[in-house]
Amino acid sequence: MHAARNIALCTKDCLCLFVCPTGATDTENGQIDFSRCLDGCRLCVDACPSHALYLVFDRYPVKPQKDAVVASALDNLLESKVKQELIGTALAQGENGGAKLAKAIAHSNRVLAEDCAREARYILPQGSETRKLLTELLGRRGDPGFPVDAVEQLLELLQ
Amino acid sequence: MEYKEPHTNGALAAICTNLSKACDKQMRPTEAGLFDKLASYFSQSAGVAGPVSINDLDANIAADTESGYIAVESRAQQVGDRGALRCVTWGKKVTAIHKSVLVRYAKQGDALMEGSNLYVCEACGFIAIAKEVPGLCPICKAPASRFTKI
Repeated sequence: MHAARNIALCTKDCLCLFVCPTGATDTENGQIDFSRCLDGCRLCVDACPSHALYLVFDRYPVKPQKDAVVASALDNLLESKVKQELIGTALAQGENGGAKLAKAIAHSNRVLAEDCAREARYILPQGSETRKLLTELLGRRGDPGFPVDAVEQLLELLQ
Repeated sequence: MEYKEPHTNGALAAICTNLSKACDKQMRPTEAGLFDKLASYFSQSAGVAGPVSINDLDANIAADTESGYIAVESRAQQVGDRGALRCVTWGKKVTAIHKSVLVRYAKQGDALMEGSNLYVCEACGFIAIAKEVPGLCPICKAPASRFTKI
């Protein structure tokens, strides 16, 4: 488990720099050096006055599966929201007020669709359901323009 | 392996942008970028067939309100899935906002937005038609910083 920094909350009080036993909090890009961070140490998390630091698992434990009926009902909603997003996108081509409203509706439906996807089964990138989907997407290798390399890298990086 | 998932390309785009955001929150920018790459592929391969009008949204909104959310809610209550119930609580309200905005647009046309901006809450999808960004989302209580101006 390593610390991560939300740079939007960081107020540069720099307490993390002075409590960190390994120097992992002091980097040129503002993010913690995960490879040097001590597993579960949390000294910086507790010291930060701005709550800009939190802990993330390196490897996630297996999460219980969602109920199949809830998941499939959410899949139906997901498809409905996506259809509304696509209708909105198709209507958003012009410059008039209606086009702007259609764009807002498309955007809102994408947010709703993402929420359905999250609650159906794809909340954690490291989860078994995400892995299953990625593995199945390898079957699209050879489809014109399909970025199969991205799928392969994700399967490698997300354990 | 044969591709068997039931999701359409449009849904796969939303699944991938959702996972990209999850990677961002875990401070995994490389993985977030890879999910974004997949999402753009799926977005390019998604679309609606034929001409559409704003009224085409009505049937979907009605189906979501009358059956879609109810199906999730009743089962989620039975199995104690509080995450799904949270999704239903926000989603039903946002869907009702879509309906009311469309009804008002049908009556007033472009005058509805005159002198106002459109803002969408990135947390729940709430649409605000207002001069200034809302200080707090009335549905999910997200702060002003979570709104995107359209």
